[in-house]
Amino acid sequence: MGFRYTMIGAALCIFIFYLGLLLSLFYFVGGKGFWDAIVNPYTLFSIRLSLIAATLATFFAILIGLPSAYALSRFDFPGKRIMDTFLEIPIIMSPMALGASFLVFFNTPLGELIQHKGIFFVFEIPGIVLAQFATIAGLATRLMKASLDEISPRYEAVARSLGSSPWQAFYRVTLPLSFKGLLASVILSWAKAMGEFGATVTVAGAMPGKTETMPVAIFTAVSSANIEKAIVLILLLVAFGLFTLYTIRFTGKRFRYD
Amino acid sequence: MIKIEGLTLLFDSFKITDLNIQIEEGGFHFLLGPTGSGKTLVLESIMGLRRPKKGKISIADREVQNLPPDQREISYVPQDLALFPHLRVKENILFGITARNLDLNLYEKYIDALIEVMRIGHLLERFPANLSGGEKKRVALLRALAPKPKLLLLDEPLSGLDPSIKTEIQHLLKVLHSSFRPTTLCVTHDFEEAYFLGDEITIFIDGKVEQVGEKDEVFLRPKSKKVAQFLGAKNLYRAKITRKEESSQQVILEVNGLQFFVPTSFYNDEMAVGKEVDLFIRSEEVMIIREGKPVKDSLKQNIFRGEILDIIDRGRYHTVYFQALEGKILFEISIPNYAFRNLNLSVGKRVRAALREESLWVMS
Repeated sequence: MGFRYTMIGAALCIFIFYLGLLLSLFYFVGGKGFWDAIVNPYTLFSIRLSLIAATLATFFAILIGLPSAYALSRFDFPGKRIMDTFLEIPIIMSPMALGASFLVFFNTPLGELIQHKGIFFVFEIPGIVLAQFATIAGLATRLMKASLDEISPRYEAVARSLGSSPWQAFYRVTLPLSFKGLLASVILSWAKAMGEFGATVTVAGAMPGKTETMPVAIFTAVSSANIEKAIVLILLLVAFGLFTLYTIRFTGKRFRYD
Repeated sequence: MIKIEGLTLLFDSFKITDLNIQIEEGGFHFLLGPTGSGKTLVLESIMGLRRPKKGKISIADREVQNLPPDQREISYVPQDLALFPHLRVKENILFGITARNLDLNLYEKYIDALIEVMRIGHLLERFPANLSGGEKKRVALLRALAPKPKLLLLDEPLSGLDPSIKTEIQHLLKVLHSSFRPTTLCVTHDFEEAYFLGDEITIFIDGKVEQVGEKDEVFLRPKSKKVAQFLGAKNLYRAKITRKEESSQQVILEVNGLQFFVPTSFYNDEMAVGKEVDLFIRSEEVMIIREGKPVKDSLKQNIFRGEILDIIDRGRYHTVYFQALEGKILFEISIPNYAFRNLNLSVGKRVRAALREESLWVMS
C-alpha cells in the first residue's frame, strides 16, 4: 500500500472509531423514557448549571489568563520560565488530584478562613466554578499566549511610535490581530469546562439539583443504570462540543487578514 | 536639531559605546554599517523601545531619553513595515493622527499632498494584504509622516524590493524629502542608497562609529582601511612615503617599487618620509588610455604601463584586471560599457593606465 493511502487510512480509522461510538448511542434513543429523561427537572438543572458554571469559569480564566498570556509572550522577567511551566499543572495533574488538592487546601487555616469569612466552596456551586477554573486557566493562558506569539511585537512598536499608549496599542492593534486565536482559546476553554468531571465531583460532590453538572449527571445516571438520561446528556454534550468547533472554524474564516 | 550624545547600549552580545549623531533640522542622515552591526538596536533605542545604558537624546532641545515612545514624536518605519493588516490603507495613514487625538482638519491638506506625492490615492480603501511590495513601502512611509514627527526613523527602507521598484521608491524618497523636509535618520548597509539619498553619513562598524561626515567626504576620503573596505574599496595598498617634493607640494609613495605622486594639500596629518600608509584608489577612477591618444598634463605623473589579466562583463559595466609591469601591482578598474567598447581591450593586451592625483587617497 502506498504511503498516501496508509496515512489516509489511519485518519479514517480514527474517524470511524469516534463516529461508531456516537452512532451506537442511537441504539437506545427513542421511546417515552427518552423524552422523560430530557424534560426531567434534574436533567434541565444540570444543563443550566453546566452552562452557567462553565461560562463563569471561562470568564475568570480569561480575565486572569489574557494579561498573563500577554506578559509571558511579550516581556522578560525573573521566574518567567517556571511560571510558563506551571501552566501545564492542570494537564500533568489528574483532575481528581486537582480536586483533592482543593479539599486539602480548604482544610488548612487559610482555606477555612476563606470559607468562613468569604465564599463557601466545598459541596457548593462556587466549588464547581473553582474546579473548572483550575482545570482551564492554564490551558486558556497557554492557548492565548500562542495566539499572541503569532503577532509580531513590531506592530505594537509602530503603534507606540505613532502616539499610542501601551493600552491603546494593545486594544487597537494586538487585540484585533489576535482576535481569531483568542476567541478560539475562549471557546475551547469553555468546551473543556463544560466537560470537566474529576475536579468538579471531588470539590462539589454529585448532589442532584444542587451541584450536579452534565458530566457528573452522566456518571450518576450510568451508576444507577439510567441509560436514557445518560444518552441524552452525552448527546447534548457532543452537540455543544460540535457547535463550539464549528464556531471556531467560522471565526477562523471571518478574521483572516492575509 | 536632533542630538544623540554618548549613547551606550548593552544587549546580549551587542555592545555599542558612545554613539554620537547630530542631524540638522530637515536633514537626511544615514547610519551605514554592515548587516548585524546593531543598527536596528540603535533605532529602537532612539525610539524608546529599548533602554540604553547611558546617553542623551535631544529633539529640538527637549531631552527625550526618559520618555515613553508615544511621547517622543518620533515615527518609525521598520524593515518589515508592519502595516496594520486589519486596517485599510486610509486607516493606517490616519492611525497616528487619531492615536494622538490631533485635529484632522489641520492635517488634511498636508496628508492630501503626501498622498499625491506618493501616488496612493487609488489605494486608500484597500487592505495591506492587497498591496504590492512597493505600494506597501509607500503607505508605510506616508503613515509615518502623517502626524508630522520631529524625527523619522527608517530601517533599511529599500530592502526586499525588485530593482525597478527599488529605484522608484528611492526616487520617491528623494522627492518626499525635498518636498516636506522631514528630519530623517535612516539605517542601511547599502552605501549606494546612502549616497543617493543622504546628506550626511555615519559609518558604523562593530558597534563603533568609524567616520562621520558629508557623503562625498566619506565616500571619496575614508578615514581608515576598515571604512574603505566596508565601502567596497578594491584597490587598497600598503605604501611607504619615500620622498617629499616641497616645490610641487607632493609626496612620493612607493608600493613594490611603483611610484605614486600625491599632493600634500589634501591632508592634515603629517606626511613624514619613511612613514607607512594605506593607499586607496577607487576602481572607477583608474583610466585606461586609448592607444595614440595624447595624455593630459594632469595625468602624466601617475601613469603606468601594464597588461590586462582578465575582463569580466558585469552587465552595465566591465571590470578589468590590470597589472602594472613595474612592481606587479594589480588594479581593479571599472569601465562603463560605452567607454569599454571604444577602448578595444582584450586579455593579454598591453596598455597604459593613468590616475588623477585627486583620485589617490592616503590613510595613515
